[in-house]
Amino acid sequence: METMIKVSDLCKTYIVEKRQNNVLRNVNFEVKKGDMIAIMGPSGSGKSTLLYSVSGMDDATSGEILFDGKDITKLSGKELAKLRLDDMGFIFQQMYMLKNLTILDNIVLPAMQSNKRKETKEEIIKRGQEIMRKLGIIEIADNDIHEVSGGQLQRACICRSLINNPKVIFADEPTGALNRSSSEEVLDELLKINNEGTTIMMVTHDSKVAAKCQKVLYIVDGNIKGEFELGKMTSPDQIRDRERAVNNWLLELGW
Amino acid sequence: MIKNILKKDLKRKKTMNIIILMFVILASMFVASSVNNIITVINGTGYFFEKANIGNYDLITMGQNVVGNLDEVLSKEDCVQEYRTETVIFGSQDNFKANGKKVQVRNSALIQSLDDAQENFFDENNQKVSTVENGKVYITGGFMKENDLKVGDTISVEHGNVKATWEIAGRLKDAVLGSTFMGNPRFLISREDYELLEADELLREYYRGEVCYITTSDEKALSSVLSEIDGIAFDGSISVIRMCYVMDMVIAGLLIVVSICLIIVAFVVLKFTITFTLNEEFREIGVMKAIGITDAKIRSIYVVKYLAIAIFGAILGLFGSIPFGNVMMKSVSENMVLGNDKGIMINICSVLVVVLLIVWYAYFCTGKLKKYSPIDAIRSGQSGERFKKKNGYRMTKSKLHATTYLAINDILSNPKRYLTIVLAFTICSILVFMCVNTTETLKSDRLVYTFGKPSDAYYTNVNKAMSGMSGDGKDAVYEALDEIEDELAEHGIPAKASVEMQFRYKVEFEGEIYKLGFQQGYRTQITDYLYYAGEAPQNEHEIAITEQISQKIGAKIGDTLKITIGDQTDDYLITAYFESMNLMGEIIRLHEDVMTNAGNSASMMSFQIDFTDHPTQQVIDERVEEMKDIFDCDEVFNAAGYTEYCVGVVDTMQGVEYLMLAITILVVILVAILMERSFISDEKGEIAILKAIGFSDNDIVKWHVMRFVIVSISAVFLGVILSVPVTNLAITPIFGMMGMHSVSFEYNLFQICLLFPGIILAVTTLAAGLTALYTRTIHCRDTAGIE
Repeated sequence: METMIKVSDLCKTYIVEKRQNNVLRNVNFEVKKGDMIAIMGPSGSGKSTLLYSVSGMDDATSGEILFDGKDITKLSGKELAKLRLDDMGFIFQQMYMLKNLTILDNIVLPAMQSNKRKETKEEIIKRGQEIMRKLGIIEIADNDIHEVSGGQLQRACICRSLINNPKVIFADEPTGALNRSSSEEVLDELLKINNEGTTIMMVTHDSKVAAKCQKVLYIVDGNIKGEFELGKMTSPDQIRDRERAVNNWLLELGW
Repeated sequence: MIKNILKKDLKRKKTMNIIILMFVILASMFVASSVNNIITVINGTGYFFEKANIGNYDLITMGQNVVGNLDEVLSKEDCVQEYRTETVIFGSQDNFKANGKKVQVRNSALIQSLDDAQENFFDENNQKVSTVENGKVYITGGFMKENDLKVGDTISVEHGNVKATWEIAGRLKDAVLGSTFMGNPRFLISREDYELLEADELLREYYRGEVCYITTSDEKALSSVLSEIDGIAFDGSISVIRMCYVMDMVIAGLLIVVSICLIIVAFVVLKFTITFTLNEEFREIGVMKAIGITDAKIRSIYVVKYLAIAIFGAILGLFGSIPFGNVMMKSVSENMVLGNDKGIMINICSVLVVVLLIVWYAYFCTGKLKKYSPIDAIRSGQSGERFKKKNGYRMTKSKLHATTYLAINDILSNPKRYLTIVLAFTICSILVFMCVNTTETLKSDRLVYTFGKPSDAYYTNVNKAMSGMSGDGKDAVYEALDEIEDELAEHGIPAKASVEMQFRYKVEFEGEIYKLGFQQGYRTQITDYLYYAGEAPQNEHEIAITEQISQKIGAKIGDTLKITIGDQTDDYLITAYFESMNLMGEIIRLHEDVMTNAGNSASMMSFQIDFTDHPTQQVIDERVEEMKDIFDCDEVFNAAGYTEYCVGVVDTMQGVEYLMLAITILVVILVAILMERSFISDEKGEIAILKAIGFSDNDIVKWHVMRFVIVSISAVFLGVILSVPVTNLAITPIFGMMGMHSVSFEYNLFQICLLFPGIILAVTTLAAGLTALYTRTIHCRDTAGIE
């Protein structure tokens, strides 16, 4: 399989009050096209920093990050913004949206800003509505963001991340603020998207979420301590075994 | 604990706290300087006259052997409580040269010794002039400005047999003669230098006069007594002198308008900031409630915080208010000593009011937390939460680019927030446009009919006027007019010359006696003038009066006045009302057939030239320039130039216009910077999320700047629209004080629709744009820190 993301010797250092804090230390890993990988680790281990660095949302101190063959550490701010707009999708733990826009407006906003697909406004709106329909939230298209539930809002965020047909979706604890049933709904949607060929890289604390991914990276103190290949989940019945396997592996690593 | 929470708050929310502090400084500065200026302007001439000690009735005598005449009459009159006289020597334009060049003197100049002065004179720093060294001179500010003179320049005098050169020691503020409408320059010299002039027989005999400052208990009785004395060039009560400062007071009045507007702007902006920052606090208030801190304690935290910021800001604002107020005041007090006896106390009281208001408002705003449960308190913070239905404007229905849509949508979604900016910018724009409209009107030829008959050109020649006024009857004036016509004809300019003469005659109406101003055109017809009510007088026993005369004596159209002209007393029927800015509108127009004597005239206005070949305006303007060469004189004007010359405050108005523009730019910059900074602080999360989903730094800056551009376009548009009625409402009464009935304002479309709005827009865009660059410091990784 083709490589989508290749990270080599990635370091990220913050200097806080003259004290150097090495958040990522020589991180190396690869993500294949169509993969769905989970990044796990204790709080403060550098999971989110890794996600933000790989997605170009944060600068790397050193190292190389190849995104679809392009070294994003060498891109300018403007080029990175274009890359995020056209080829990446983002989902955050907090379902953050612009408060003055309706749900549909929030979803289509990146497409309106992008020139990637040369679509008319009507086509963008139609596509936005189709994605919403697919994720089962079309009825909230004209609602304001405070009028819908957390689960609906997170699904709306997924719709927004999909609007420009990204190559990779980066998700930072996408189910962290949701209840159990909403979490499962959201995860199912992400699985479906992944099955359609979109690469997903997500940070999670939940081994149940990680069990649905093909690969789990475990990070401690800015180092990748282990990688666990789970392979593609072919049936929902496998989830218990996969979750047990992930938990055992995590226990071995000191989780 | 409160101390610790406060300490942390001041540190953690540094940006917002600095923004509040800046607004408090701004508000304190504006309010303190404005209140002080308003009180100063309201005191106005009263303060000046009291300081100058000019009594309540003043008069000037001039002519052969007049010195001493007043004593004989005034010392015997019961209505005169006290009087003081000073001797002066009169001079004209031809007697003076500045730095070796000719000077312009509108009216006769008065030369006197400071030691003999009965009035207090002040220098440009409002300090009383107490000494003048030999060889030095203090001169009235208006004369120095008109002739572009400065301290250190030299004035040479050649008068009678005396030749002298004086160095200008300073500008003089003269309560009686320093107004724009009096316009007599006064030269204050040392006793030794003055004695040299008095030693000359010619000057002593023919050019001496007196200025007398009288305190009277009965102005009417005094006026009646004075009507019998010869050689009085001017007499008037303090109210007449006060009216002569009307143009200065117009400008000072504008300052009141500006000050009130600045106070409004200050409070509007302050209210926004406090509401805005307190909304930010609601989440924390909720948390504090949840952990059991009492409402009173929570309120006290915020009240103490705002009190601390308010006190600190008010102290800084107080210091800023002094130079700021002085700059504003300086532009309007060139001729006057404006001030008040309360001084800095007013500023201190004003900033105290600002502090109290801030604390009260903070207390009032936190009051509603009493009603809320902890969760309600958290949810009442409007940032990040909206409890109203969104406006109907959808991106899916808009044809605009995403960033432009976001900007418009933000404004429509939260109009209250942007209303503050619209209000501040609109008020400032109206101020600028109002000044522009007034200045343009004063510079145009729209008001020329209030000084006389509208003509093609106007020519001032004091010598010709003097020779015209020296003869009996009208002949000497006609000769002067003939000379002008002949001179022009020699240069191929066919023209008719005419002139407006002014007189003072005794008038009797309903048993009361007055001495009033009259105007008669020589070589004009009474039907050449404009009347806004009644019919133009048809014969020598019919007159037209102004509204001011009607109000003063109670006469109306159809009434008859008994007027004494020379030895003849006749009845004159009032047939019409007209507008005039001569003598502040207190004037009566005589029919051309009335036999007046130019030798007894009070003054003669500029010669008026009408080209008989009816040339275009371009040719008129060319001929005006040509006439300057023909008559070797700079004081030849077209109608607009003549209005400017007569009004005499266009330069000052222009200065005020620029001051308004500068204040507007200052307000626009400060409001734009502080508001944008507040918005960035409030929208940090949205900015981060937009960056995360692929908006570039430039897109974010564009989005933020666009909001200010839209808001300032709306504000300036509103300003342009509202400036028309506001100018009419605010400025027409001021012109009314000068004798106008109604004013048709001149609107310079280029200036009020393009130039000034363009400047305001450019400044807003620049200020908002530069501040919006701060959004570059917000990174997409900050999404992780969004609350």
